[in-house]
Amino acid sequence: MDIKTIDHLCNLSKLNYTDEGKEKVMGEMSAIIELMDTVKEFDVVYDDTKDNNSISYDEVRKDVAKPSFPTEKLLSNTQPSGNCYVVPKMVD
Amino acid sequence: MKLYPTIGLEIHAELLTNSKVFCTCSAEFGGEPNSRCCPVCSGLPGTLPVLNSKAVEYIIKAGYIMNCEISRFTKWDRKNYFYPDLPKAYQISQMPRPVCLGGHVDVTVDGEQKTMRINRIHLEEDAGKLVHDDIERVSLADYNRCGIPLIEIVTEPDFHSAAEVIAFFEKIRLMLQYAGVCDGKLEQGSMRCDVNISLAEKDSDKLGTRTEVKNLNSTKAIQRAIEYEIYRQTELIENGERVVQETLHFNDATGETSSLRSKEDAHDYRYFPDPDIPPIIFTEEELAAIKADIPEMPEQRVARYTGEYGISAADAKVLTDSKRVSDLFENALKAYNNPKPIGTFIVVELMRRINLGELDLDNMKFTAEDLAKLIELAETGKISKDNRKIILREMLETGKKPEAIAEEQQLWIKEDNALLEKTINGIMEANPKAVEQYRSGETKVFGFLMGQCNKALKGAASPASIKAMLEEKLKG
Amino acid sequence: MELKKQTLGSLREMLDTKQISAAELCKEYSDSIKAKDSDVLGYITVTEDEALKNAEKAQEIIDKGEAKALTGIPLAIKDNICTDGIRTTCASKMLENFVPPYDANVIEKLKAENYVLLGKTSMDEFAMGGSTQTSAFAKTRNPFDLSRVPGGSSGGSAAVVSAGLAPAALGSDTGGSIRQPASFCGVTGLKPTYGRVSRYGLVAFASSLDQIGPIANSAVDCGTILNVICGKDSRDATSANKPAEDFNAKVGKDIKGMKIALPEEFFADSTDDDVKNAVLAAAKKYEEMGATLVDCSMKSLKYAVSAYYLVASAEAASNLSRFDGIKYGLRGEGRTFDEMIRDSRTRGFGDEVKRRILLGNYALSSGYYDAYYLKALALKQQIIKEYNEIFENADVILTPTAPTVAYKIGEQETDPVKMYLADICTVTVNIASLPAISVPCGYNADGMPIGMSLVGRKWDEATLIQTADAFEKTFERRYSEV
Repeated sequence: MDIKTIDHLCNLSKLNYTDEGKEKVMGEMSAIIELMDTVKEFDVVYDDTKDNNSISYDEVRKDVAKPSFPTEKLLSNTQPSGNCYVVPKMVD
Repeated sequence: MKLYPTIGLEIHAELLTNSKVFCTCSAEFGGEPNSRCCPVCSGLPGTLPVLNSKAVEYIIKAGYIMNCEISRFTKWDRKNYFYPDLPKAYQISQMPRPVCLGGHVDVTVDGEQKTMRINRIHLEEDAGKLVHDDIERVSLADYNRCGIPLIEIVTEPDFHSAAEVIAFFEKIRLMLQYAGVCDGKLEQGSMRCDVNISLAEKDSDKLGTRTEVKNLNSTKAIQRAIEYEIYRQTELIENGERVVQETLHFNDATGETSSLRSKEDAHDYRYFPDPDIPPIIFTEEELAAIKADIPEMPEQRVARYTGEYGISAADAKVLTDSKRVSDLFENALKAYNNPKPIGTFIVVELMRRINLGELDLDNMKFTAEDLAKLIELAETGKISKDNRKIILREMLETGKKPEAIAEEQQLWIKEDNALLEKTINGIMEANPKAVEQYRSGETKVFGFLMGQCNKALKGAASPASIKAMLEEKLKG
Repeated sequence: MELKKQTLGSLREMLDTKQISAAELCKEYSDSIKAKDSDVLGYITVTEDEALKNAEKAQEIIDKGEAKALTGIPLAIKDNICTDGIRTTCASKMLENFVPPYDANVIEKLKAENYVLLGKTSMDEFAMGGSTQTSAFAKTRNPFDLSRVPGGSSGGSAAVVSAGLAPAALGSDTGGSIRQPASFCGVTGLKPTYGRVSRYGLVAFASSLDQIGPIANSAVDCGTILNVICGKDSRDATSANKPAEDFNAKVGKDIKGMKIALPEEFFADSTDDDVKNAVLAAAKKYEEMGATLVDCSMKSLKYAVSAYYLVASAEAASNLSRFDGIKYGLRGEGRTFDEMIRDSRTRGFGDEVKRRILLGNYALSSGYYDAYYLKALALKQQIIKEYNEIFENADVILTPTAPTVAYKIGEQETDPVKMYLADICTVTVNIASLPAISVPCGYNADGMPIGMSLVGRKWDEATLIQTADAFEKTFERRYSEV
């Protein structure tokens, strides 16, 4: 686990760390990955058709539209503008 | 250096379901912002996607009409990335086990038939819409479109010109309309096309670096974008510069492509199977039933029109090139089963008005039954063929029934035998040489005499009656 | 009334025979909360006014003679279960002011019986943890010893039941989060079969592992609650369509001849001696009742913690991506979208949540996906296989719920790897989608509770409750003194 990997993971995760924070989490992640590495000792390939969690086509939801959620209620946890979510611009 | 373009496509088509693909919100187009949403499609915490079986039915139908293999075991995956039009920060799509694999569609370009191969078709959800407010430096997000079902058709890089791409795109659009799975309304964004294009020397076994131009939503844009990219890449290569692999946006106003810097460049989508959506296993019976339910495709209608109805190949193509036109024709036939005159009238008279913008098939004031009645009146001699145009104009503008219009404008053919006899006698007297010619065996001259009678009678008698009486009189 | 000793059965009787009104009962618990929760810190939000309103409505139903099992019964709900109009924080700054505009399916079912909502209980942030000490709002303490952890992540729910601040509660279990805190707090906790209870409205941690379940003072109470909250929900495609059944139907039936398996790997050195001894003593008790003990092995147990954390973290990383401050939640600052969401998430999430997100994205990222995530899924299939083999020769499996009793606050929560390894006794149950119940079976020298877990075949909660109840009837249970 090196700084480059941590930075890459932070980009994927949209998280920031201070420099000390990054050092600390790098150490923690190294120890965690070491524990995760035990799975490498197990030598079997995953077969996604053997999970026994599939359903048949006729169990899938029928195409009936239902009334939508009231817009105000949906936006009640944010400050909308013209019933839209407000997002800062994408690029500077 | 002769550079040869190689093009592959990703076509997105919105499916015509009642509800969204993973929730029960209406899938209708438009609506006030965030008025067709719920906690699921808006990405609220604790919500779960529930797959729509109609969307599955429609992608299977799309697969069959494009000659794909339907996977007996299919599942959905999460495509993870952050963007404000994506409320869950992942799009539910399909990676290793899409519903359709392989396939091909034949297109005809400049008289030549080519087979374009399809790599896969998968079912996924659409994202929302962003409206940019440059003054406030914000974007406003509307999630109405989030969760609308999309099929993504990925082709092999079998295309080598804009013409081939457009022929393919239009054919797919028509077929999906006929299948009833997509309305093909490009102005509503029902179909979008991403173009992957690279240039290389012909006969080179290496492909050039490819760029991707995203979200082209009209054939014009597709044409211009491809032409511009070919031009831009050619310039770079001829100047010894590198083509950069990147995602581009096509600017309609300038006709140029530009780099999409707002989306992150190398995305790691971290696809993994969505644990909220159980995979599906199809039975042969289920697939067969869905296949049998596919409506007639354009090619099948063309075959029927030319084979059974004796309509010309050219006319049949015009009649089937738009589903609405073809449906209008079919519905008219249900009311009055006389394909040739109805077909010809549509091809000659209606298409002209459609192309002039005088008739909008989505906003017709008259019905297919009215059209059928109009043709029937002419074929049964109640009005003259010439007057069909006049009545049509009125039907177009007011939606009045053809009989009412004929009545108002006094266009009925009145079978006045006395007038008919008098007029025909008069014509025969005025043209003794023609009469003699006919009687001596030159039947060709009948047409001339008919024409004279028609002119004189000015539509006051049906051609059938004129012909009958004239023939009789000529016999002597 | 000694609230700690009440069961849902005793409360139902009191309400139905008018010994107490629903409002009076509600007030008893509300007063208890006011008196003791500042020590226990079990609740994040106490809904006293709402509770009284619920109680009055319930009383109307009781007066009509139409009371159902949970009518007028006060319950505490873990704060990752959405309650319409009532703050639901998941113990995170990210959702400090989030008020869901809808109810979870389980809440709809409880409301249909006119239950009484006492409040939302504390938990490890976003259900990630085993101590409840990662809660941003209430670092719950163990009622048996306030200097010790209550366990987690449903530590608040377990503690309020243990302290008599609620007769029962709902928790959620992804890798042991109902069973382990129940064990640490000396109460009973049931994780149903995956798919038994709808997850609609449960803020997702690991979608293939999460289940909502009851924490209460007895196995029968757990069955009573499960009877109400279970069932297929059209809004959760992973919820199963099972015929209605009464999970308490087998209670009291003889367990003679029942085969109870004890997988040796659960009784190895990683488990403390006092825990082992208490569980083995319980096994002996079962033998005396006529059950047969069966030896067995789960060879893949040594990979279980890693497999669990890889799958759970990967799913969590994806599930938590929606928290960006745009639609709801803590809204960060930034000139661009990227800056803003990074700020929201950095300020909104605690350290453990962040570590899990990083780990999850690591396991899913290009180049590592096959070696970690897919390998973990292969191990999942293997563990299911090993359970199936054990169940060919057993009706239930008996193991310790946790390798230790509740430890002192501050002793190990700062060591992520140590914390992860402590889940060894519980994670395989979630991986295999099986039901399990944790029941108090002893106390150590310091008087701290020890819990044992009974694991059943899929859909066999009734047998678990029957077996757990059989032991409870012989066991002298102690109560916290808070």
